[in-house]
Amino acid sequence: MEPVLWFGWFRADIIAEYSELFWRGLAMTVGVTIVCILQGSLLGLLVGMARLADARHAPARQLCRFLVRWPATIYVSFFRGTPLFVQILLMHFAVLPLLINPVDGLLIAGDTAREIKQDYGALVSGVLALTLNAGAYISEIFRAGIQSIDRGQTEAARSLGLSYRQTMYHVVLPQAFRRMLPPLGNNAIALLKDSSLVSAVGLAELAYAARTVAGAYSRYWEPYLTIAVMYWTLTLGLAYMVRRLEHRYGRGDTR
Amino acid sequence: MIRLPRGVRPALLLLVLASSTAEAQSRPLVVGSSATYPPFAYETPAKEIVGFDVDIIKAIAQKTGLTLKIVNTPFTGVFASLNNGDLDLIISGVTINDRRKQSYDFTAPYFEARQLIAVHKDSTVKSLQNLAGKKVAVVTGSTGDDVASRAFGKTSANIRRFDTTPLIIAELAGYGVDAAIGDNGVIAYRVAEQKDLKTVTDPTFPQEYFGIVVKQGNAALRTILNTGLAAIQADGTYARIYKKWFQAEPPVLPRQ
Repeated sequence: MEPVLWFGWFRADIIAEYSELFWRGLAMTVGVTIVCILQGSLLGLLVGMARLADARHAPARQLCRFLVRWPATIYVSFFRGTPLFVQILLMHFAVLPLLINPVDGLLIAGDTAREIKQDYGALVSGVLALTLNAGAYISEIFRAGIQSIDRGQTEAARSLGLSYRQTMYHVVLPQAFRRMLPPLGNNAIALLKDSSLVSAVGLAELAYAARTVAGAYSRYWEPYLTIAVMYWTLTLGLAYMVRRLEHRYGRGDTR
Repeated sequence: MIRLPRGVRPALLLLVLASSTAEAQSRPLVVGSSATYPPFAYETPAKEIVGFDVDIIKAIAQKTGLTLKIVNTPFTGVFASLNNGDLDLIISGVTINDRRKQSYDFTAPYFEARQLIAVHKDSTVKSLQNLAGKKVAVVTGSTGDDVASRAFGKTSANIRRFDTTPLIIAELAGYGVDAAIGDNGVIAYRVAEQKDLKTVTDPTFPQEYFGIVVKQGNAALRTILNTGLAAIQADGTYARIYKKWFQAEPPVLPRQ
């Protein structure tokens, strides 16, 4: 292919040559981000609640402490306290081969394992690592959001005869959600960018496309500038969506 | 011109060069090598850099009277370090190719490189063609990547690219791919560590050579290194080092 130069230095032709990889990569990045935000939020909600779990009387109180609060705290501590990159490599090259392995997989073995590993191996480990990591951060957002609602609100709701569940659902969570939206949006943007780390295990997303082109041509401006613009566009879109949500759910706060 | 007996002329040249460099060399030559590439160059737990490349350059230095300082330089930055003068030469499993020849000067080949396919022991793969439709792991931008891209299409989803050779072998060992393609020396070394893997050669793979790299235009150093390389090949030192690292007889290398 003839070199096509934009502005005298940008080799547009090498991007065009690999365009398929970039488009597929874009779809993969968006897909992975959406799935991980949803799963991470669900996990974060559960873990956040688990960290607040408590009971009034003897056996249940100890049970809450050792079987619910402690594991949740250790989980959050590990996933916030170690680099995401390390978690991804650990998941893909150590944990997954142990669980899914044609020879002696603990979870799945045989030909199914081989098929899963080959077709979705990088996807599974990437999504798992990102979800677990996001879940840890999001659980802290949920916990902080719930704890930020004045105790008086809960006390008032309970003295009016609402159950704990009703209090949470009708009084605490709606208010907490408003306060959680900005940090949740932040987290979603961080997750979108962090998904680039999964290229290390061979998942064909945006950063993988750029790495492939850089490796083939030893040129770095073109591929990395291209994906930088793509990531920026995506985060701008995400930031806009979060702003709209904040506006919508923030109405009650602004008078 | 006076006809000298065979073997005397290179020896004379060596003598002249050695004496001239001994004077000119006021500081040791700085050798760059990326020590993450066993068996060519790697670090021992004692932080010592060893390997085939290291033995070769040390043997050459001994023959030509050069003093060396070997510096562990990441492969991604090794050429830049040569250009800005931090390094005098590179010996780091660098494949001689036309693209690199435009920017750097190479000595004569010191190693014959071929691509090698690693597969599981029970695999029926016999050649590159057998890998069509199968998942293949390669190191990004390597010759293996080139070979796979040409055979299966550069944007093929069946090509899985990783950063280093250990990772492609780990991916293969974990059944993430059907095969891994890489440089023979490194692949053979890694496969030997894994009991359920084997290697397959394909005669259609391009023949390549590793060369020592010097800055473009540094003809003096290049000549010394070439003379030294010829000398260690002539006296059997090369064959001894080759056998030490690859447990095989060395192939005959072209002189240029």
